[in-house]
Amino acid sequence: MTATIRPRGSAASATQTTGPDRTGQGRRLLAAAAALGLAVTPHVAAAQSLLNVSYDPTRELYREVNEAFINHRVAEGHDRPQIETSHGGSGSQARSVIDGLRAQVVTLALGADIDEIASRGLLPEDWQARLPHNSSPYTSTIVFLVREGNPKNLGDWGDLVQDGVEVITPNPKTSGGARWNYLAAWAWAERNDQDPREFLTQLFANVPVLDTGARGSTTTFTQRGLGDVLLAWENEAYLALEELGEDSFDIVIPSVSMLTEPPVAVVDRNIEDEAQGELAQAYLEFLYSPEGQALAFKHFYRAWDDSAADPEDVARFPELELVSIEEFGGWGQAQDEHFGDGGTFDQIYQVK
Amino acid sequence: MRALVAKSPMPGFGLGMGITITMLSLVVLLPIGALVLHGLNFGLANNWQVVGTERVMASLFLSFRLALLAALFNLVFGVILAWVLARYEFPGRRVVDAIVDLPFALPTAVAGIALTALYAPNGLFGAFVRDWLAPLGNFLLSPLGVEFSGRIAYTQWGILIALVFVGLPFVVRTVQPVIAEIEREVEEASATLGASRAHTLRRVILPMLMPAALTGFALSLARAVGEYGSVIFIAGNIPMRTEIAPLLIVIRLEEFNYDAASAIGIAMLLVSFALLLVINLIQIWSRRRVGDV
Repeated sequence: MTATIRPRGSAASATQTTGPDRTGQGRRLLAAAAALGLAVTPHVAAAQSLLNVSYDPTRELYREVNEAFINHRVAEGHDRPQIETSHGGSGSQARSVIDGLRAQVVTLALGADIDEIASRGLLPEDWQARLPHNSSPYTSTIVFLVREGNPKNLGDWGDLVQDGVEVITPNPKTSGGARWNYLAAWAWAERNDQDPREFLTQLFANVPVLDTGARGSTTTFTQRGLGDVLLAWENEAYLALEELGEDSFDIVIPSVSMLTEPPVAVVDRNIEDEAQGELAQAYLEFLYSPEGQALAFKHFYRAWDDSAADPEDVARFPELELVSIEEFGGWGQAQDEHFGDGGTFDQIYQVK
Repeated sequence: MRALVAKSPMPGFGLGMGITITMLSLVVLLPIGALVLHGLNFGLANNWQVVGTERVMASLFLSFRLALLAALFNLVFGVILAWVLARYEFPGRRVVDAIVDLPFALPTAVAGIALTALYAPNGLFGAFVRDWLAPLGNFLLSPLGVEFSGRIAYTQWGILIALVFVGLPFVVRTVQPVIAEIEREVEEASATLGASRAHTLRRVILPMLMPAALTGFALSLARAVGEYGSVIFIAGNIPMRTEIAPLLIVIRLEEFNYDAASAIGIAMLLVSFALLLVINLIQIWSRRRVGDV
């Protein structure tokens, strides 16, 4: 079929390279390939390094946590460890670990993603009982980010289904945060005598864009000027205020929301020796230490221990009714019922 | 015994063929083979059960329909662009020529974000379309009962624009060298024999461009069908309306449903294969009709 394709010789940009030049290029290419080959098989002392595979909005948090933890280890008299963190959508991060990314520690957006890793035998099924507070060193919730002055006067979940209100949320299929959004709306409907399915169908009829991740939705709302309200992690909403100026957006706290628990775990199968296991364990325990908790507060997470935190960081979180995932029967059940193939979310788009 | 392959006077056939087969196997056949194998293990009926659902069908239909439209658009305007670049001398011709390659060079995510920023309701073109073009169009078309929302980004229009963008260079780059090689004498002969300009264009020039243009069309189509990086930013990704098939594959992967993902992948592969086959047949037919160019 490509009989008539010819090289671009006749186009204006033709450059003819002469013989010796070309061999030089070839050699350089070989050298580059060799360098690449070396680059993909790094030999770092395994015991001194950790890879933490995390989700999207924790970039800022773990940048500081890693630094503090390294200093903490050195102060304790250990060798200086090397901590790396990788960020992305929670689900795809979990898939990378399942497909062989050698993460010693996972800190993801929801338990279901770590359950999935556990179901492939990389860590015990009861991983969530190994650390305090359901293995969640910090929690957050889902709030509304609206435009300055709240022009559409949106105060609670019920207001989001009005005609002419545009709601921005990521796709629950690809985003961990969006699943929490969905369940929070469901919980509100149940408490306010509405049929949750009907309510969510109306809500998603007002959604013009489903981005694949939480950051994508934040961009759509803040930069592209689309939508009246963004359903966001509380920490992400505060971050947006901090980054983009408090005079362009407001945070609205609904009456009911989810207690979102982004859990952490050591991936046992990827631990190479005892020393690395100890390091991984110490890393997660550091998150529970007063110092680690203070950092979580600082980055707009609701943590547990405020003994070392700046009181201002603690005081800025308003009170609201927080619903635990246990009300939905835990992630194992909620995942299948709502977000699995043919679950309640799929049904929203099948009714035409 | 006769040799299976006729001996060629050109040396290096064995080595060349060996490298070709090895490369082709490693780079193309292996991944596609793995995909098909996965599908076979899953079972024919199961595959169909995945693909036959309303939502998957809607996304496949959307992907192929918009890819065809974008490729058609690129076919017409790519040929015109190639003609202008190959036939006329004008200041800045080389710059235009270089610009045509940009969609090749730009990472697709960058293209997607740039297009979204331009066509979003608060973007440069987005605002223009919403405030001027859409009201004007709606005024003119109102007797027909057609209404245009005025939104480009996050609708099927946005997807179409992204697909046109990534596919344009294929047609231009395949057609341009052919135009450059058409000899003027052919046109002059046609004119001396009394053909009008339109007649020369239709009966002399276009048949010669046809095979190359079709190749460009096929490449542009193939690229558009599989495009993910740029579309994902500008499509609204709403199921049944603006959800492209490649996104649905990613969604199935996020659900850890590798079987369903491979089933949709195979369906896309089959449709693409059928489309390319048809295009090839048209090419063969057109070559028979006008002779090889």
